Amino acid sequence: MPKLIDAHRLAGPVPFDDLPEDPRPDMDRLGIDQALVTHTLSLYSDAQAGNEALFRLAGPRLIPVPVLVPAALEDPPAWDARMVRLCPRRHRFDLTGPATLRWLAELDVTVAVELGETTTAQLLALTARLPGQRVLLLNPGYRHLRAVAELMAEAPNVWLEIGTVNTQRGVEWLAGRFGAHRLVFGTGAPILDDCGPRFLLECLDRPADRDLIASGSLEALL
Amino acid sequence: MTPGVRILDAHGHLGTWPDFLIPDPTAEGMVELMDRLGVQAVGISHLLAVGPDARTGNRLAFEAAARHPGRFGVWQVYNPHHRNRLIAGGVWGVKLHPDVHECPLDDPRYEPVWELGLPVLAHGQTDSPWSDPALFAAVAARHPHVPLLMGHAGLWPHGFARAARLAAGHPNLFLETCGSQMTGRWIARLVELLGADRVVFGSDACFLDLRVGLGRVVLAPLAEADRALVLGGNLARILRLGDPA
Repeated sequence: MPKLIDAHRLAGPVPFDDLPEDPRPDMDRLGIDQALVTHTLSLYSDAQAGNEALFRLAGPRLIPVPVLVPAALEDPPAWDARMVRLCPRRHRFDLTGPATLRWLAELDVTVAVELGETTTAQLLALTARLPGQRVLLLNPGYRHLRAVAELMAEAPNVWLEIGTVNTQRGVEWLAGRFGAHRLVFGTGAPILDDCGPRFLLECLDRPADRDLIASGSLEALL
Repeated sequence: MTPGVRILDAHGHLGTWPDFLIPDPTAEGMVELMDRLGVQAVGISHLLAVGPDARTGNRLAFEAAARHPGRFGVWQVYNPHHRNRLIAGGVWGVKLHPDVHECPLDDPRYEPVWELGLPVLAHGQTDSPWSDPALFAAVAARHPHVPLLMGHAGLWPHGFARAARLAAGHPNLFLETCGSQMTGRWIARLVELLGADRVVFGSDACFLDLRVGLGRVVLAPLAEADRALVLGGNLARILRLGDPA
């Protein structure tokens, strides 16, 4: 197994459960070397406060993914980040609005967005407006495979997190159509499960797919 | 994967489902995965039977079980509207889906199921008018001789702890672990709340991926003795399967 990177992990407290705030002990237990991490304060409280807490937490194993909230008449932040996260539904902005497009064009950084925060149609519109924009689609689930496949067929700069692609051989189905180089290991832990996706990764039909999904695809994306 | 541990999957399906794509809905694909993962047997109902045609779907499940002897146990679906015939032998038990059939678990139309006395696996969903865990507790109290598996342990994370509390007073009621919202952490919590002898591994494959469901138990923070009970020891006891061949 090559290096294993979780592309979707959270640090910090959540209001609805008692979950580990530091992801590293669970990462140790499951053999996950590094993680791209967003702070929960950015999702459940104040985005800026969460990003500040995130950068304080960041280190060799925890790669910061700050949350971007585009704003009209303002300049984008000057972060040292390889990926930023957008939450257009939660933070109530338009994924293809003028502020978002302007900021993304200026930042030239990979964008992570949960499917539940947008729609495949919106993502298709975003990638049409910014053809060079790289997107990692988080938490796509298993019920929208057909729509996700349409998006991936039309938008070659969209990558997919596999943690919730949880229908029988769904990951192999996607790898067969788009290549494992478009698929990325990620979990959404600790809110979502990390044990099942970690085990699935070990048991994929094709070992070559496993190596790409474990970290190769993500490293190429970033 | 788990040497020496008998793995029995309490909750499986074959076939397709209308509102999303299942890339591999076949019995043969399931057996290939089972062989690779060391899963001895999966209890199946056919999704056609869960949906509109219990008679044909049950026949398809029995045919799949006959093609792969010892690998599939059949949960025969009972549709309370169609009142399809149930058999008393050669099955793991009866599968109910109160939400799809829009008939609450405590409805008298299920009487033929309880009278049969076989183990029952039913979809369980917190806050559902059809399958809330409180309905399981009520039915378990009414039919203490019937082993009753609460599918998905109530499905939603906000209801898992309550499902365990409701099950605690009913030794014939078990929590089954499959579902898209379940986590390894929650499986360990359910074991702590209810006891390792009352939590049963299920995957929901092929609806969900067998590897994800199994991995949640294999990698959950559990003591090995507890993990062995959840993975298969409990179901073998409930179904009176005896020692593995």
